[in-house]
Amino acid sequence: MATGKLERHLNLRFLKKNRTVIGVYLVLIVLFLFSSLMSDVFLTPRNVSNVLRQAVVLGFVSLGQTLVILTAGIDLSVGSVISLTSCLTAGTILGRDSLAIPAVGLVLALALLIGFCNGFFITRTGVPSLIVTLGTMEIIQGITLTYTDEPYGQISPNFGFLAWGQVGAIPFPVLLLAGSFALGIFVLRRRAFGRHIYAVGGNEEAARLSGIKTDRVKIYTYMICSFTAALTGLLLAARMGIGDPRAGEPFMLECLVPVLIGGTSLMGGKGGLLGTIAGVFILTILNNILNLMEVSGYWQWVVQGVIIIGAVAFYVKERE
Amino acid sequence: MSDIVVEMEGISKRFPGVEALDKVDFSCREGEVHALVGENGAGKSTLMKILNRAYLQDAGKIMLRGQEVFLSGPKEAQDHGISTIYQEFNLIPELNVAENIFLGREIKKWKGFVIDPSCARKRSEELLAKLEADIDPRSKISELSVAQQQMVEIGKALSLNASIIIMDEPSASVSGKELDSLFRIIRSLRDDGKAVIYISHHLDEIFEIANRATVLKDGKLAGIVAVKDVDKQSIIKMMVGRPLAETFPRKERGTRKEILALKNVCRGKMLRDISFRAYSGEILGITGLVGSGRTELARVIFGADSFDSGEIYLNGQNIVKSKPKTSISNGVGYLTEDRKKEGLINNSSVRKNLTLLILEEIKKLLFINERRERSLAENCIEKFNIMTPSSEQEVQYLSGGNQQKVILAKCLNANPRLLILDEPTRGIDVGAKAEMYNLMRDLAKQGAAILMISSELPEVLGMSDRILVMHEGQIMGELSSSEATEENIMMMATGQTHGNRKIGETLEPEIP
Repeated sequence: MATGKLERHLNLRFLKKNRTVIGVYLVLIVLFLFSSLMSDVFLTPRNVSNVLRQAVVLGFVSLGQTLVILTAGIDLSVGSVISLTSCLTAGTILGRDSLAIPAVGLVLALALLIGFCNGFFITRTGVPSLIVTLGTMEIIQGITLTYTDEPYGQISPNFGFLAWGQVGAIPFPVLLLAGSFALGIFVLRRRAFGRHIYAVGGNEEAARLSGIKTDRVKIYTYMICSFTAALTGLLLAARMGIGDPRAGEPFMLECLVPVLIGGTSLMGGKGGLLGTIAGVFILTILNNILNLMEVSGYWQWVVQGVIIIGAVAFYVKERE
Repeated sequence: MSDIVVEMEGISKRFPGVEALDKVDFSCREGEVHALVGENGAGKSTLMKILNRAYLQDAGKIMLRGQEVFLSGPKEAQDHGISTIYQEFNLIPELNVAENIFLGREIKKWKGFVIDPSCARKRSEELLAKLEADIDPRSKISELSVAQQQMVEIGKALSLNASIIIMDEPSASVSGKELDSLFRIIRSLRDDGKAVIYISHHLDEIFEIANRATVLKDGKLAGIVAVKDVDKQSIIKMMVGRPLAETFPRKERGTRKEILALKNVCRGKMLRDISFRAYSGEILGITGLVGSGRTELARVIFGADSFDSGEIYLNGQNIVKSKPKTSISNGVGYLTEDRKKEGLINNSSVRKNLTLLILEEIKKLLFINERRERSLAENCIEKFNIMTPSSEQEVQYLSGGNQQKVILAKCLNANPRLLILDEPTRGIDVGAKAEMYNLMRDLAKQGAAILMISSELPEVLGMSDRILVMHEGQIMGELSSSEATEENIMMMATGQTHGNRKIGETLEPEIP
């Protein structure tokens, strides 16, 4: 049958092209099955929604970070942006619902400005992104701690919707994350901007000579990255009800883990958001099940470290 | 009559420390293949990068179809129909063929809201069919051969509706049949009324394909000639400023002693049952088409790759498992095919590159004796006539020929008895080539065994005392320098004939 043959050919092609992503999802499924077998609590609605809410926070930062890493850059300032956003939002709102929207507008605009500065300095001075964003990380952290060096402020009841709201049976933040990833995947695959991100990361000079404004592409990705970090900051503030100047610290490096597990290469140009979202869930479920199994938090670090090295070693081997 | 499409007048460009171009004029007509020739560092690539606006000139003007233009960037140059195919292709390895062809000007649908991959694929298919290239537009660039990548680049230029196509050393990466089809495409572009600017070192190609040639020397215009009115010698004279025959040093040998012997060496599909011997005092040429296993052979001998079976003897000793480090201490030097990737620490100074293999020797207690290192580097620079402002210059800023001399000097500092040279004159100019040839012959006379891997048949014939021809991982035969001709080498290299001797039975070299 001619059509059958054609179909098989197409399927094979699909499998071959996406085998990295398929691999990550297989791992996720195995982990999910393992977790449901190991713990009776794992599949309770309460725990599931707990996992989802944790995944959301990590998900947003990792989304922006994936885009930056695809251009062969890195953004270490995300953690400090999260802290700043969370403090500034709670500190501005101070329990007043009327100020919720202006506060959100303010911090998101500020985040875009920070991202612009990162991108601008990286593209204009040629200083590696690692160093520029390390610098902005320290600057922002310093400013945040000057603003407040202990948890401060109070959110308003309506603002809490961001973290606790439900749309039907689905928590609002989960919907927001799903929408953001869907949009991100669409842009990467079907918009010229997405194609340009891969081109810049794959061979910047070639991209430039193809007429792509590579500097602009990079600046945009840093702006998106800061923006998604700010969303994480908003969610954390909404969840905790207060701004915490150290809320973002753990995210600085942790947001790299799902990106790397998801198969995006630090060298740029390879990978994508589909892998990252799986990486987010692998990491969250893993921490959750280790908690449920009463494994100490320190051991969770050990496991996480082994997984990062193992996953990346696997990708390197496969690409050879 | 054909119209002038491109005119460049009085173009000057300075880089830190170098006058790259000094008041150069250039013009190209519609329906013409115009060759741009000159030694490395003569400014050919710089001139073209000014035309396509990758660089901005310090002085001079550019006119397209008689109108002076001020382009803001490569994109605008593209919009004016200028398209460049670089020697190192500008393709994104992880994107597929169609995505690369339309990179930067993606085909969109839904009022420009999303890109349309199926239309891009269809149009790529048409373009590639026009080039008679059998390439699936859905293949990733990283899965294609070099010749196929070049076809994709040409397809990309065509898709831009380019009227001016610049090709920077297009023959550097293809050979034989692929080169013929490249020429066929260039001719059809010319007949379509495009202006093709062809940068090359290979004078033979220029005489085959070009209508006119502009010759540059040290950033200055040396002459513009109609190719049919001149001969090779006069172009060479313009390029180097002195008459220089493409002659090779006399074949004189040093004392003969077996240095290297391979017996039935295999590595996967790339090397099959390789047996031969190499002797001190002679140059053993190894030739074959690209991909015939020549470089793999060199890497196995050097210990950069392992082999599956067989035996290798170096100075009579059986080498079981070798690593580059032990090979170097056993007196093997390896000049790689790809200078930038494998031969040099690009952003390090000439001095540091030169002494990389002999740091142990110039150590004083625990530290490198810098004064000794510097004087050693100065010596090398003088002895090998390396053109560099100082020993502290970063090696990436030297011209190709000078980089090659740095690598050779680096290998020779370790006093190798066996020297493997993989494409030793690729991408270097006539003058530097002659210097390389003399150096190689001197080394052989002084008693080194030299394995010279090369695709350039005149070079193989001119330099080798014996010649091994490879095809698909096998040695097809061995020829003495007196019996070898371009024809019988090509017959073996394309797998049509075996040598008349059995493989592995090594012919005694003639004693002079």
